[in-house]
Amino acid sequence: MQEDEAPSHIVDLALKKGATDVVAELHDKQHIMIRFSNNEVTVSKSYNESLVGIFLMIKKRRAAITVPLSSIRNLERSVETLVKAAEITPPADLYAPLPEGPFNYDPKLLRASRISLNPDRLIGYVEEAINSALEEGARKTAGTLIATKERLILATSGDVYASQERSSLEISVRAFTSDVSSGHFVSISRDEEKFDPSGAGRTAGRIAKASLNPKPGRPSKFTALLGPLVFADLISQVGIFSSAFLVDAGQSFLADKIGSEVACSKLTLIDDPTVADSYGARAFDDEGVPTRRNIIIERGILNSYLHNSATAKKFGVETTGNAGLISPHPWNLIVEPGEKSFDEILDGIDRGVYVTNDWYLRYQNYRSGDFSTIPRDGMFMIRKGEISSSIRELRISDNMLRILKNIREISRTRAWVKWWEVDIPTLAPYAVIEELNFTKSTM
Amino acid sequence: MSVRVLVNGALGFASTNKLRRKDVKASVIKAYKLASAAKKVLQREISMDESKLGTAKVKVKTKIDFDSVDIESKVELLKEAYRQAEEAAADKKVKISGCILTLDTWKTEKFLVTSDGAYVRSFTPRAAVFTLITAFHPQKGTVQRSFDLGGTGGWEITKKWNLPELFKKEAQTLSEILLYAKKRPSGRTDVILGPELVGLICHESSGHPSEADRILGREAAQAGETYLKADSIGLRVGSPLVNVVDDPTIEGSFGFYRYDEEGVKARKRVLIKEGVINEFLHNRETASIFKLRSNSSSRAAAFNREPIVRMANTYLEPGDYSKEELIEEIKDGIYIKSFMEWNIDDRRFNQRYVGLEAYKIKNGELKERVRNPILEVTTIGLWSSVDAVGKDLEFQAAYCGKGDPMQGIPVWTGGPHIRLRNVTLGE
Repeated sequence: MQEDEAPSHIVDLALKKGATDVVAELHDKQHIMIRFSNNEVTVSKSYNESLVGIFLMIKKRRAAITVPLSSIRNLERSVETLVKAAEITPPADLYAPLPEGPFNYDPKLLRASRISLNPDRLIGYVEEAINSALEEGARKTAGTLIATKERLILATSGDVYASQERSSLEISVRAFTSDVSSGHFVSISRDEEKFDPSGAGRTAGRIAKASLNPKPGRPSKFTALLGPLVFADLISQVGIFSSAFLVDAGQSFLADKIGSEVACSKLTLIDDPTVADSYGARAFDDEGVPTRRNIIIERGILNSYLHNSATAKKFGVETTGNAGLISPHPWNLIVEPGEKSFDEILDGIDRGVYVTNDWYLRYQNYRSGDFSTIPRDGMFMIRKGEISSSIRELRISDNMLRILKNIREISRTRAWVKWWEVDIPTLAPYAVIEELNFTKSTM
Repeated sequence: MSVRVLVNGALGFASTNKLRRKDVKASVIKAYKLASAAKKVLQREISMDESKLGTAKVKVKTKIDFDSVDIESKVELLKEAYRQAEEAAADKKVKISGCILTLDTWKTEKFLVTSDGAYVRSFTPRAAVFTLITAFHPQKGTVQRSFDLGGTGGWEITKKWNLPELFKKEAQTLSEILLYAKKRPSGRTDVILGPELVGLICHESSGHPSEADRILGREAAQAGETYLKADSIGLRVGSPLVNVVDDPTIEGSFGFYRYDEEGVKARKRVLIKEGVINEFLHNRETASIFKLRSNSSSRAAAFNREPIVRMANTYLEPGDYSKEELIEEIKDGIYIKSFMEWNIDDRRFNQRYVGLEAYKIKNGELKERVRNPILEVTTIGLWSSVDAVGKDLEFQAAYCGKGDPMQGIPVWTGGPHIRLRNVTLGE
C-alpha cells in the first residue's frame, strides 16, 4: 500500500469493523526551525513527521486517535483499538452523521506556493532580520524562523478523498536596546515573495530604540492604543472561544450571545481560510467540508459560532467548515479594516497608553471573560496625540467582553500575526480601547 | 528518533517518526547541514561540559499496569467523579454547568546514546488528570476551578487520588465560594498562602529565573529572560526562611527522572538557600559557558523536541510552623488556599495571583470566605515578606511550558503553608 492510500484503507477497515462514520487524515510535515539570540544562531532544527489522525463514530459513540504512519498492521491494530474504545464510550447526546461528499474544492487552495528549505537560504533570512534590527539601533536580537511544507490527505466515510499541500514561512524577531527596553515584530507568509524578515527586524528594532529608558508606569484606566501583536492576541481569543464546542461546554464568554451586541459596531471579525495567498488558507476541514468565509462578529453583533457537523446539529445550524477531529476551531482570522491610519488614530488620543506587545494571557473565568495579560516590549505614554515617554511594569487586567465593547477605533493599517503567543494566524489592525484597566505590582 | 549534532561549534537537531533506514540517515544529514549552514551566524562556538555521563537502565516499577485496566473502568471512574461533583453541587442548589475532565496514562521508553559515552535506557509510566469545572447559580453567576493531578507509576496512582471523593469536595468548595464568598479584600494585610500557591510561586518566580539558558538570553523571543544575571549567585532575594529546591529524584513525582536528556545523573538543585540565590539550572551547554558541570537539568518533552534547560519538581522546603500556629499569630489577614488566574512578566519579576478559595483571618481564627483576593507583587517583594514557613509539604502536578516549538513537560510544584507579613492586596 502506498502512503497516500492509507487514509482510504483505514476508512474501509473501520467501516468493516463496525464504525458508522470514519475520518482518516494523513499529515505529512517537513519543518525547519532556526532559533537565534544575541545576534547569533543558537540551534537549527529539522522535523520530518507523518501522522495519521483517525476519528470514528458508532452512531452516538465517538473515539479518536493520532498515530505515526507505520506498517499496515500497526494501523489496523489502531483501528481495532479505536473501534473497541468507541463501543464502550458513553454515547454523546446526539448522532450527527459525517457530511456526505464528494465536494468541490477551490483549486487555488489545494496547491502550495514554492518555498525553499535550503539551509543557506533560511540562514540568510535570519541574517537579514538580525541586521535590519541592528541597523535601527538594536543592541541584540533573538527570534525564530520557521519554514514548513506539509501535505494533508483526507478520506471519510462520507465519500470524501481530498489532498492539500501547504507551505509557509514565518519569523518572529525581538530586538533589545537594554535589559528592559525591547521591541518585537513578525512576518508570516505562504510564499517567499511576501515574506519580509527585514521588515520584521526593522519594526522590532525601531520599537526597541523608542522604548529606551522606560519609567515605571502608574496603574489606572487609560485609553489604550493596542498594536497588531496585542490586538491579534485578544482577537484570537475571541476566535478560539467562538468554537461551538467550548460554548456548549459552558467554557466561553460568548455563550448565549448569538444576535447580541458583544462588541463596538466598528468591529467585524471573520474567519476566512478561503483567501488563497494567506498563511491560514485551507480548502477543507477535517470532515472534508469545503471551508468558507464565516462572519463571527458583524459590526459588533455576534453572528455565528464555528461549527463541525456535530455541534451544528446540536445548535440547529449548518456546519461552518471549521471541523477539527474533535472540536471546531478558527483557521484564519481577519479583522475588517477601519478608515483611519495609525497617525490619525494616535492624533485622536489626548492621554493614553500605547502597548506594542503582550504575553501570558490567563483567565480567572472563561465563562465571564475576566483575564489578565502582561504587556512586554515597548509601552509608551501618549499625550496630546503624540508618543511621549517609554513606560514599563503594567499589566492589563480586564474582561474580554468589556474590551470588545470599549473599542473606539480600528485602524486601516493591518498586519498578519502569528507567533509563540498567538497561535491562530490573525490579520490585526491597531485598535483603541477606552478605559482599559492597567494594574501593577504593589511591592 | 532524533539526533543532535555539534558541527564546528554550531548545534543542529533533527527528528523523524519514520524509522526506515533512509529516513534516519536523511535526518542525520539534515542536522549536519543545518548546523554547518549556521556557522556564518555564530559568534561563540557552542561546546558541552565535561560532565560524567551515565551508562544505566532505569525502569520505574508499577504495581498495576495501565494495560491491565480496561477502558470501561477508566471511563466509569471519570463518570463517577463527575456524578459526585454534580450531586455535591446540587445539594447546595448549584449547577455544574461545564466540566472538562480528562484522564491520561502513558508509558515513555527512551534510549539515549551520545558520542561521548552516555548510554541510558529508561522506562517511565505516567498518569495524569486535568479538569476545568464551572459552577453556576442563577443569582450568583459562575466560578471556575482548574487543576492537574499527575505522577509516575502505574494505575495504583489513580487509586491514591480517590477521584470521586476529590471531585465531591471540589464541587462543595466551588459551590460555597459561589454562594457565600464576600467581596474582594484589598489593602495592606498579612497573608497565609497554601501549598498550591507556594508551589506555583516557586516554579514561576524561582525556578524559571534560575534557568541558565534564560540568563544567557536563549529564550528571549519566546518565554523571555530573567531578572537574574550570570553574577547573581549570592544575591539576596528573600528572607532567610526561604529555601527553594528543584529535585527530579523524588520517586512517584510527575517530574521524576534518574538521568537527564544528556545522560547526566539527576540530583537535587538548591536554587535559593536561606533567601540567597545559590544555584542555577544547567544543561551541558550552559554549564560549559559558566565553566561548571551540568546539574542534570536537560529535558525534552518527547523524542522530537530539542533537550533544553528545564525544572523537574520545584518546591519550598518546609519550616517548623503548624498551619494553626501560622494563623494564630495573625490579627487581621487573609488565607489564600487555591488560585485560578495567574501570570508573570517575561523577566520573572512582576507577578499576579488571583485567589479562588480564600478566607478572612480575624484574631488568629479563620472566618468567612472572601472572593478572589489579588496578590500582585514582585519576586523579591514576595519572598522578602515571608516571616514563617509551615512544616507541612504538598505537591501539585503541572505542565511547564517553554521552548519553541512549545514543550509542555510534567512537573510537580509544591511547598508548605507560608506567612507573608504586611503585603498589599490589589483592588
